[in-house]
Amino acid sequence: MSLVMPKPDEATLLKSSSIINGLKKISKHVLSEEEERAVYETDGLSIHRQKPIAVVLPETTKEVSLILKYCYDNNVKVVPRGAGTGLSGSALPLEDSVLVVLGKFNKILEIDFENRCVVTQPGVTNLSITGAVQHEGFYYAPDPSSQMACSIGGNISTNAGGVHSLKYGVTTNNVLGVEMVLIDGTIIRLGGKNLDAEGYDLLGVVTGSEGLLGVITEITVKILKKPQSVRAVLIGFDTNDDAGNCVADIISAGIIPAGMEIMDKPLIIATDNFAKAGYPRDVEILLIVELDGTESEVNTLIEKVLEIAKKNKASYNRASESDEERLRFWKGRKAAFTALGAISPDYICMDGSIPRKKLGTVLNEITRLSKKYELAVANCFHAGDGNLHPLIMFDSNNKKELKKAEFFGADILKYCVKVGGVLTGEHGVGIEKRELMCEMFNNDDIQQQLSLKKAFDEKSLLNPGKVFPILHRCAEEGRVHVHKGKTRFPDLPSF
Amino acid sequence: MTDIYRPNNQEEISQFIYDCYESNRPIEIITFNSKPIGRSIQCSQTLDLSKNSGIVEYQPDELYIKVKAGTPLIDILEVLKSKNQMLGFEPVDLGYLYNGKPNYGSIGGVVSCNLSGPRRFKSGSLRDHLLGFTAVNGKGECIKSGGTVVKNVTGYDLSKLLAGSYGTLSVLTEVTLKVVPKPEFSETFVMYGLTPKEALEVFSKVMKTSLEISGACHYPKNNIDFLRLNDLDNSRTITALRIEGPKNSVQERIESLNKIFKEVKEKTILEIYQSDLFWKISANLECFNNSPKIVAKISLPPTETTDFISQFCEDEIMGINNKYFVEWAGGLIFLEIGNEDPSYLILEKMKKFCKEKSAHIMIMKADNTFRTSGFFLSSSDENIKTLASKVKLSFDPKSILNPGKIYAGI
Ligand SMILES: Cc1cc2nc3c(=O)[nH]c(=O)nc-3n(C[C@H](O)[C@H](O)[C@H](O)COP(=O)(O)OP(=O)(O)OC[C@H]3O[C@@H](n4cnc5c(N)ncnc54)[C@H](O)[C@@H]3O)c2cc1C
Repeated sequence: MSLVMPKPDEATLLKSSSIINGLKKISKHVLSEEEERAVYETDGLSIHRQKPIAVVLPETTKEVSLILKYCYDNNVKVVPRGAGTGLSGSALPLEDSVLVVLGKFNKILEIDFENRCVVTQPGVTNLSITGAVQHEGFYYAPDPSSQMACSIGGNISTNAGGVHSLKYGVTTNNVLGVEMVLIDGTIIRLGGKNLDAEGYDLLGVVTGSEGLLGVITEITVKILKKPQSVRAVLIGFDTNDDAGNCVADIISAGIIPAGMEIMDKPLIIATDNFAKAGYPRDVEILLIVELDGTESEVNTLIEKVLEIAKKNKASYNRASESDEERLRFWKGRKAAFTALGAISPDYICMDGSIPRKKLGTVLNEITRLSKKYELAVANCFHAGDGNLHPLIMFDSNNKKELKKAEFFGADILKYCVKVGGVLTGEHGVGIEKRELMCEMFNNDDIQQQLSLKKAFDEKSLLNPGKVFPILHRCAEEGRVHVHKGKTRFPDLPSF
Repeated sequence: MTDIYRPNNQEEISQFIYDCYESNRPIEIITFNSKPIGRSIQCSQTLDLSKNSGIVEYQPDELYIKVKAGTPLIDILEVLKSKNQMLGFEPVDLGYLYNGKPNYGSIGGVVSCNLSGPRRFKSGSLRDHLLGFTAVNGKGECIKSGGTVVKNVTGYDLSKLLAGSYGTLSVLTEVTLKVVPKPEFSETFVMYGLTPKEALEVFSKVMKTSLEISGACHYPKNNIDFLRLNDLDNSRTITALRIEGPKNSVQERIESLNKIFKEVKEKTILEIYQSDLFWKISANLECFNNSPKIVAKISLPPTETTDFISQFCEDEIMGINNKYFVEWAGGLIFLEIGNEDPSYLILEKMKKFCKEKSAHIMIMKADNTFRTSGFFLSSSDENIKTLASKVKLSFDPKSILNPGKIYAGI
């Protein structure tokens, strides 16, 4: 697949071996052999591949600082990488870049129950944080499905969400502080163990910035006490609209479930085959609603939810009677991507967010597009927060199918924006949705973001070619703000 | 004399800022001039945003409200109340602190200050509830970020940056806020006579349970007279825990508290009406009603709070007796100190303490002398200041929007 990336800098490529030598003076772990670099040539968006000049695996913040300073002084591009599970290609190396992998930052530094937080290195997996505190009944709330593999540093950089984000928030709502290295090697600390950081909320912009603003070397996250009681219900429907309305009605009733997920028929079958979750196979759409709180509260809420489901013509329901059963309900949903991998040679996973009450409409549109493009699709949704993951199935051996799948995906995202949603809810823009940014933002919006980027990284050396469009100008004539006959950026280069 | 300009809409705001940008005129941004917060600044122009007002869109079932930034917060709260909803960050009415009477000000002002009420430690801060905005930057360009949905990682999250930027980055013209259902029921469990240290131990204990406390504060002996509620005895220190949710769940959890603290002899329960009132009074800093002194907000890790109190708030042996109270389950102290010379010294010592303890100070209220020559935030990290300055210039290259309000020279 052809992908346009910023033109590699010839001078940098020519001095590759001197760069490798320079890095080797700083770090013991510099990988420069072809097959070593090949391990890191792609992330979770594996249709794109590119080897960097070198891969470095630093062990200390000081080392990261020296590496970045070296690259800064020598005008070498840097791409940070955590576990490489990202789905938008934001950790894809550039040909003339150095890939900084945080894999050796794999220690939890401090568990502080008194202040309800954990201080950790960025390479630690999401799930190990919960693992380290669960003996005291605590957990780390954001739970992306990739939590066994993805790094907490990557989570901060993508602002990862999970199935419990509806009630407990996404990463940005659960991180208290970071230590970070700027591209010129400066080490800074944002936030800490206290709740309100001072001044501009730089931590807030760094979260979700896809490695474009700095390399994160230490993280403080909030931990929560597990709820007293948790139960989940499975609810089946015959139509998209009934399921969509049910979700909207639950929220309207003032109920904020801990999680609320939807899967369509192809996924129900695939995940049930894969995980033996015990899903009903004769429903078109399955809703999983999880409720937590005190025992009597949970029981009351379950009754209310079932009543709402009945009003919306639910054809099936089952409430979990034990924790094992509840976890089994989730096992299917959490294995959605893997399960689909078992039935389709390839798929791409989209990630739009939409207003909840448009769920039915959007599902119907996806069905229509699926027929138009003649590609099968399976859908799972974080329905409570309107975040949808249509999985478009194709065969990458068939070049035409890949192209079609990409157009199909773009059409879905454009439709999300059209109904009042956004391009990406949790996977990030990366290279995948870069050119679609103009669907949401005009030139002034994008320029503002680019100026902010410059405040952190004046030379644009950190992870270039990601997030912002390269091919398009977002300024459509009608949207450019014209003052007294002059446009604001007469000599602006196209990007 | 400064010129006050009152634009009606975003177009006019943009035009005005553009003109000021072209002619290098700094602008002070106000709405109802309700918050003399931040450093005091001198500008030739004043931009009054109160006319850019009104609710644009309220979608109760989508849990958001979109409003023009000049809309009085009180109007928004009324509308939400009619649908049994509220703002989850529990806004703070600073009117009491500044003028001794209620005045929430405009939503734009509230967002710009990013102050959050007692529910902060459970529900996040204001910035966690700002879903998106439109604004005009320092070049007069209309910019936007975010949207109306809760999950959104499309581009940098500029909402976080604008919340709490005190109008120094851009002028907000429209904001979209997340709304949440009002809890069906709530009660407050009060314990009397605890020392600050004991109160902190209580907070630590309850935060290690699943009782989902949504308010936890402590008022010392020198700061309880103003708490006048029928069922509250205000002659001894007060340590309060709020429980919210469905009625049966609230009652069960209050029962659990009774069991956990069965040793504590003197306690009471505030039922819903008085409970709501108590937290409103606390959120709005009514204990510092029209205070003539310096009032500081100190955000710190709960484990440092007892130490901070004994050094700067109350200590019989050292003769320290400043009015204060503890919020956010120990993560926040509001403190009033005199505004003569010795207090400047105390402030310097507090700054040193904070630097060592991952804590920081914000001056909520001070006289003009202090607001001109003193600090607003306790930051001492030069790297952060350099970065903050670059961020400011990336939005406002000529530094014409509220220049110097947060840091001198930025
Ligand atoms: C099966 C599967 C399921 C998934 N489910 C979810 C889900 O439910 N929710 C969700 O949000 N995501 C999900 N994802 C996507 C992915 O796991 C997340 O985006 C995750 O946060 C990426 O973490 P990572 O460590 O793999 O980061 P990487 O992929 O290595 O990097 C992601 C981005 O972060 C940057 N980065 C990484 N570490 C650092 C650092 N220390 N400092 C600065 N920048 C850094 C990179 O440059 C890149 O831009 C899923 C992925 C897979 C494969």
